Amino acid sequence: MSIQTKSISYEVNEKKILNDISVEINPGEVTTIIGPNGSGKSTLLKIISGDFENITDKVFYDETVLSSISLKRRAQIRSVMSQSQMIMFDYYVKDILSMGWLGFENAENLDVYEKVLEKIVDECAIASLMDRKFNVLSGGEQRRVHFARTLIQLNYEEKQSINKYLLLDEPTANLDLRWEVRLMENIKKIAKTGIGVFLVLHNLDLALNFSDKIALLNKGMLHSFGSVKDVFRDDVLSDVYEIDIKVDTKNFRIKYY
Amino acid sequence: MLSKKFLIASQRYLLFIFLISLIVSILLAVTIGSFKISVFDILFGELDELSRTILFTIRMPRVMLAAFVGASLAISGACLQGLFRNPLADPGLIGVSAGAALGAAFAIVFSSHFISLNFLGPYLIPFSAIIGSASVIIILFIITKGFGYDGVTYMLLAGIAVNAIAGVGIGLLTYISDDSELRSLTFWTMGSFGGITWPLIIPALVVILFSIIWIIGLSRKLDLIQLGDVEASRLGINIKKVRFGVIISSAVVVGISVSLSGMIGFVGLVVPHLVRILAGVNHLYVLIGSAIFGSILMVISDMMCRIIISPAELPVGLITSGLGSPFFLWLIFKMRAKS
Repeated sequence: MSIQTKSISYEVNEKKILNDISVEINPGEVTTIIGPNGSGKSTLLKIISGDFENITDKVFYDETVLSSISLKRRAQIRSVMSQSQMIMFDYYVKDILSMGWLGFENAENLDVYEKVLEKIVDECAIASLMDRKFNVLSGGEQRRVHFARTLIQLNYEEKQSINKYLLLDEPTANLDLRWEVRLMENIKKIAKTGIGVFLVLHNLDLALNFSDKIALLNKGMLHSFGSVKDVFRDDVLSDVYEIDIKVDTKNFRIKYY
Repeated sequence: MLSKKFLIASQRYLLFIFLISLIVSILLAVTIGSFKISVFDILFGELDELSRTILFTIRMPRVMLAAFVGASLAISGACLQGLFRNPLADPGLIGVSAGAALGAAFAIVFSSHFISLNFLGPYLIPFSAIIGSASVIIILFIITKGFGYDGVTYMLLAGIAVNAIAGVGIGLLTYISDDSELRSLTFWTMGSFGGITWPLIIPALVVILFSIIWIIGLSRKLDLIQLGDVEASRLGINIKKVRFGVIISSAVVVGISVSLSGMIGFVGLVVPHLVRILAGVNHLYVLIGSAIFGSILMVISDMMCRIIISPAELPVGLITSGLGSPFFLWLIFKMRAKS
């Protein structure tokens, strides 16, 4: 049981963005994609999310091909956070959060939502933002609200037994050091509850400290895929990023020269 | 009641006040005019024969049509603004009103040449206008490939082109029309609720009512679309279906409204903004609020047209555009100041 991609290739205007990518995302693990700019990280995450309908036949959620899963069902089994666009109208933060809850259309018991909301607001420490307008928040605060919304979506439970996945494109962008670390700790905790987490990260230190598995992309190819130890090697990283990199395995630090 | 959870207290109170104001303005509108009818006589059922006739066959259909047209224009503005995530979207923008206008102009100019058609009488102009707006919807549907996935900008540009084409058509018709045709053409483009009868509007009111209820049912989907089309579809929304529903239903209500009452500008643009400024932006509130507020505005505007130069009448489009355009300028000014 996992998300699998079966040799994904993707091109735009005859330019190859991704070439023959096969990765696996297991429930309960944090799998991180790293790689230089333009290596196809975000594209891979979008394909796994199901954004490009013509390629959903190469993605499998728990052995079911994504193209056969309805949009409604997809929303229940995976939750996605990416670089969001600006919101035109002046919604309150609590309005934005409620957009993540999938239960409203069925007129479902709203008390369940209240409980989930309380839990997530507490976990993400956004109680002080709740009654503010979303548009006046700073970039980092907006990211935290979107992250909380993504978690609320994940907490809509129909059946307890299904595997759920959290897909995040640079969740730490715009966050200061404190929130960066808290968010990553939060993600780690979420994975421990059995959710499969797949995220794009630029910060190699964070990837090294918080991941279980690493997918290293370079120029649209999967350079290496495996445990943190296998991928975070001086020669591998130096080769891909084209600068000298030393991995300090004792202190979990990356050094650049 | 579901709405209790989805509307905050201030929005519920405001909608309640709107509703009361609508009832009051309808009561005022059916009583005020060149022939006065007492509100108390209506409430206590003490009307004489003449008052009864004027009330039920002249005033009521006119006021009901004004209320429904106001609701149509305002709610279609609100849902198009939500769909396109653009506060400047307006039913006029996608070319539906222009199509209706071209159809109506065609009927006005050519009907006098085909006397045999005159048995259609009052139905001819609205019918022709509906054909005009329906043609625009079909053309838009074809060239945007079913209001396709990436078609938003495309759609607006297509609307501009359709507007321009209709403008040329109306211009040509204006050029070949004689004096009396020109006069009715000009008055038609300024909008009016005069000369309305029940048989003419009852089918229209039924269609408009169902379309409005259908649009209000899309409110949560329109909220989610504010996150972006991709984000909304990740949350399980079929964007294409919502887009199809919003465009078709707003085109239908606007097409019908324009067909029966002529061109009435700025309501679709201005009313949703006022409603948002008053108590919030979530679509359940904005859509219901716009519908009611649009009704109030139109009923009162129509009443003003009748009394300002009584017993003659001003075209209602003059009043709405006269109030709306300065507001529009203020809006642009405010947006510039904000950025």
